[in-house]
Amino acid sequence: MKTRTMLFAGAALACMAQTAAAQEELHFINCGSNDAAEAAVQAKHVAAWEADNPEFSVNMEYVPWGQCQEKAITLASAGSPAALAYLGSRVLPQLADAGLLKPVELTEEEAASYEPSVLATIQFNGQNWGVPRAFSTRALFYNKDLFEQAGLDMPDGPQTWEDVMTAAKAVTENTDARGLGIAAASFDNTMHQFLSWLYANGGEVINADGEVVFDSPETVETLQFYADMLPYAQEGPVAYDRGKLEPLFAEGKIAMMQQSFGFRARTGDANYGVTWVPTGPSGEGHSTLLITDSLAVFEGSGVEDAAMSLAKYLSETERQAEFDDVGGWTPVRDTELTRALPGKDPNWAYFLGSVAEGGPEPQVVDYNALQDVMNESIQGVILGELSPEEAAQEVADELNDLID
Amino acid sequence: MTRRFDSFPYLLLLPAFLLTLTIVAWPLFETFRLSLTNASLRPGEEYVGFENYIEIFEDDFFEVIQRTFVWMFFGVALKLIVGTIGAVLLNAALPGRNLFRILIMPPWIVPIAIGVFMWSWMYNGQFGMISGVAQKIGMLSGPFEFLAHKNSAFFATIVTDVWVGTPLVALYLLAAMQSIPKELHEAAWVDGASRFYRFRRITLPLLAPSIFTMGLLSAIWTFNSFDIIWILTEGGPRGATTTMIIDTYKTAISRFRFGEGSARAVMILLCLTAFSAVNLMLMARAGRKAGAK
Repeated sequence: MKTRTMLFAGAALACMAQTAAAQEELHFINCGSNDAAEAAVQAKHVAAWEADNPEFSVNMEYVPWGQCQEKAITLASAGSPAALAYLGSRVLPQLADAGLLKPVELTEEEAASYEPSVLATIQFNGQNWGVPRAFSTRALFYNKDLFEQAGLDMPDGPQTWEDVMTAAKAVTENTDARGLGIAAASFDNTMHQFLSWLYANGGEVINADGEVVFDSPETVETLQFYADMLPYAQEGPVAYDRGKLEPLFAEGKIAMMQQSFGFRARTGDANYGVTWVPTGPSGEGHSTLLITDSLAVFEGSGVEDAAMSLAKYLSETERQAEFDDVGGWTPVRDTELTRALPGKDPNWAYFLGSVAEGGPEPQVVDYNALQDVMNESIQGVILGELSPEEAAQEVADELNDLID
Repeated sequence: MTRRFDSFPYLLLLPAFLLTLTIVAWPLFETFRLSLTNASLRPGEEYVGFENYIEIFEDDFFEVIQRTFVWMFFGVALKLIVGTIGAVLLNAALPGRNLFRILIMPPWIVPIAIGVFMWSWMYNGQFGMISGVAQKIGMLSGPFEFLAHKNSAFFATIVTDVWVGTPLVALYLLAAMQSIPKELHEAAWVDGASRFYRFRRITLPLLAPSIFTMGLLSAIWTFNSFDIIWILTEGGPRGATTTMIIDTYKTAISRFRFGEGSARAVMILLCLTAFSAVNLMLMARAGRKAGAK
């Protein structure tokens, strides 16, 4: 009996070992935090995919945004790529240009299911290079209590830059808080926040003909808006990225800041309202920056087909909708669910209504170089080293060099 | 009679030679080779001669070199001054001396990233300790963001670097101090020399070679220090804390311009080699002077 039991146990162990050895690992790098609400949903979907594909095991690795994209790209350029990575779509052109990505084939039906503005963010040289995973638009959060304390009568929040200036001034002068949170650290969301203001003022970075039009009156106005806003912004904007502004808003130390819909869960006790990104003097309608993150499949992992299968499985309409819903993302697809969102939470109207007139992140191969020069120019205006005109010209010159 | 060639000593040297070749010579050669190419993320690379070197000098690279040396000078000088004072205090016959010798270690033992994150919060204007205390005692009228302004950010990174690097300097100098014969101090004391006079005329001269050695090592470490600046400011605001190593990282790793980045790395190597040569020359001259006396 004892011998037979041992034999069975041995055989079972051998079988398990064989199964484990037969499983191929699929390395999946995720930019962000694994305690984000949508991470649990994704883990559930990945487990379901693994159950359907027992020959693969998914090794999920979460890396903070600050280092994540560099890590994924460095691994790929060193010849040991992850199979799949969740990245900002802004890096797709650089990776595609270097031949590190596998193009994504979308059927007509699949392509039609995405918002056109979303689809544009994954396209480069006529091909798709990622599967859209998360979509984010911006609106203005404002603290109603601080507005009231400051004696402001803006029931719908500030609608124009003039309103923002009036409100910021009143809050700074009549309360212990500052008016507006400005992000100006050397980080991606400094550029993101600026672009939202720029697009709300009718500005562009690269026009439809592919020409650099950053040195425009609209850009100069936007940079001037930053300069004029400094006395009413938090002290030292250059030390703040958007993440560091969040506790200031939650603690009632700033009255207004731009954020995406998911910020609602991190506003603490602040009695907040939401409105469009206010329109600038040269702007019309309601605009915002459109940012997407994508699932990108790397060439050379040896499990490219499985990685593509997982990417498409995760972004299947219902699973993607669940991911968007839990994470507070603007839905990547225009579905019944999307149309029902303003009914669930009226604030959604501000995040969805500006999509049509929103602008994308500039699509350049050397995105980091663009980001660095734009951030440094914004910092130059804030530190008083550059005039708005000089700053706009500095970015335009660098951008022209990058495109050349 | 001719001597037979004995290969045995060379065989014994071979592992060390191969190791040096693999981990020092090969990467150096490869860095120099890459610096003469336009290597980037794109597959394939072309020989571009010294174009990368010409380009970096067309940028604000001189400014970066100058900033790096200023950063290094302040960092090393402060570490040596504070470290020497620390070593003297730790060497004094005070009760609980051993406890203080242990307590000085944490900045050096704590993982740098954790220590530096702690400092980044301390420098925060709204929630940080330094701004808070300065406001309480009336030095500041409102929150001050130390990392948001060029000068304060530059000196904030130096202070953090000094905090991280001083314990090692202090312990190294303490060990050197303990090797100074006690008889010299005792004889001077009998002759009526004051404590400060003994320190100036006995301790300091005998400590000088150790201070030089530590100064050189500390200069190389400080010159190459990356994590402190990267975590605190990423080289900002507007390049105010961008040293050569940060500049090289941004070019080679953040922007994936491996050729240009390698040229910058070669410049770092040249700067450090020149700096070390000058330092060693000064040390040798000081040694000769001491010998002549």
